[in-house]
Amino acid sequence: MAGRSLTPWLLVAPALAFLGVAFLYPVITLLLSSVRAQDALSLGNYAAFFSDRFNLEVLGRTLRVALVVTFISALICYPAAYGMQSVPPRYRGLVTALIIVPLMTSPVARTYAWLVLLGQTGIVNSTLIGAGLVKEPVRILYTEWAVYIGLAQLFIPLMLLTLISAMENLPRDVVPAARSLGATSLQSFTRVILPLTREGLVVGGTLVFTGCITAYVTPALLGGARVQLLATLLYQKAGVTVDYAAASVISVIMLALTLTVAGALRGRTGRTR
Amino acid sequence: MTSSRLPRVVLYLTLLFLVGPFLVVFIAAFGGEPTLKFPPSSFSTQWFGRVLGVEAFRGSFWTSLWLGLASTGLALLLGVPVAYALSRYRLPGAAAVQTLLTSPALVPGLVVGLALLQYFVNLGGSVYPSLLAAHTALLLPYVVRVVSTSLVNLRPDIEEAAMSLGASRLTAFRLVVLPNIRGGVAAAAVLAFITSFDQVAVSLFLTGPGVSTLPIAMLTFMEYNYDPTIAALSTLLIAFSVGLVLIFERLLGLSRYV
Repeated sequence: MAGRSLTPWLLVAPALAFLGVAFLYPVITLLLSSVRAQDALSLGNYAAFFSDRFNLEVLGRTLRVALVVTFISALICYPAAYGMQSVPPRYRGLVTALIIVPLMTSPVARTYAWLVLLGQTGIVNSTLIGAGLVKEPVRILYTEWAVYIGLAQLFIPLMLLTLISAMENLPRDVVPAARSLGATSLQSFTRVILPLTREGLVVGGTLVFTGCITAYVTPALLGGARVQLLATLLYQKAGVTVDYAAASVISVIMLALTLTVAGALRGRTGRTR
Repeated sequence: MTSSRLPRVVLYLTLLFLVGPFLVVFIAAFGGEPTLKFPPSSFSTQWFGRVLGVEAFRGSFWTSLWLGLASTGLALLLGVPVAYALSRYRLPGAAAVQTLLTSPALVPGLVVGLALLQYFVNLGGSVYPSLLAAHTALLLPYVVRVVSTSLVNLRPDIEEAAMSLGASRLTAFRLVVLPNIRGGVAAAAVLAFITSFDQVAVSLFLTGPGVSTLPIAMLTFMEYNYDPTIAALSTLLIAFSVGLVLIFERLLGLSRYV
């Protein structure tokens, strides 16, 4: 009997031991190093970080970018996910594959495409000039716009897949029923679809938001030095200027942001169930 | 009527936004000019040859391949027993175990990389073990989640039947359970390998001169070169992922596990 209750622990022990040594201990050490200065407990690293205007700007920009991209994703994906229902069934597999394939593709390759499209000689600028809308190439790369576009392409699949499955669980006749009772299409969205798919929206929104906070390749390639986000700032502090104190503070901020959002999600879906 | 067609149009435009850039990369990869231009005014396949000629890509490709296979194998070795324990036993503290196991998915990749840099490399350890440890930790949550899904869908009475006929738990697992969750394990392996192979954030701090993974080598190369070589390499990588996804979608229905 004792052996029987020991078996599951023997099965999970190697994985837990591995995570403890190779993941938890190093990460916790890094986080704790943010509240140390000269071997004493201190909030000096935080004071130094938050007193630098540039850092505050980067933090504000990161939050703004993550919120805007999450909002835009929801705005695009609601009608798109609803549209999935009117796609002929034999094409649905293809549509799903087209949504999933980008998720399985190197983010470097995906982001690189935008360098080709948005550059000074890229297709967007040559079209604008060709159409006579602008005379000089417009700067899109290395602006916040490029980062919005790149992150939206990176994370829209997550929102889209979540909302499609949320709408598949929607009772089939609720929208026609609402319309036949006199609801406008806007009303049937705000009063019927939105409340019934709220959980999917929260899950998808969390994935997009935390993805935006932690993405590195997109802001590095499309934002460059002008449009830094927390991830690129972290790389600069730890990898370039070797300012480990600032890097540890940024690590804590990034982790706190993702955990807060993920925790809020857990509380929320827990309550609605 | 138009109002009911609008959502579908939005869906197709979204797909164009998601997939269109890939087509641009394909076309740019065949450009004839020495600097990247879109659309190109002449065509050539020279950049594909150039990809194979760049030493940094060849070395880092083997590193990425080795790292992807090793971390996937290790994550399966550690993760499958956990999935089995969580689905077949009433484990006191199962919720805590689960939270612990999903934690690598919650911590930003850059933070994991930096933590391991300070821990392993600054302690005088070598780069390869820390890369392997970081990637394995990152893959574990995926493996446990995907394999758990197929274990939950497998009724436990068939293995109980095997055991009541005299098989040990290990034999029952090997002869009854494993063949039945093959699809889930394979799907977990594919997802894990792709995640490792394409990983940037976790690897960024753990690579350096001498040791680099393919995505990191691409980023470095892009800083100094503005020719279609990266377009050609991206084309190869996209084709590789699409091929992998299509094969496994057909064999296993990968989309059920994503």
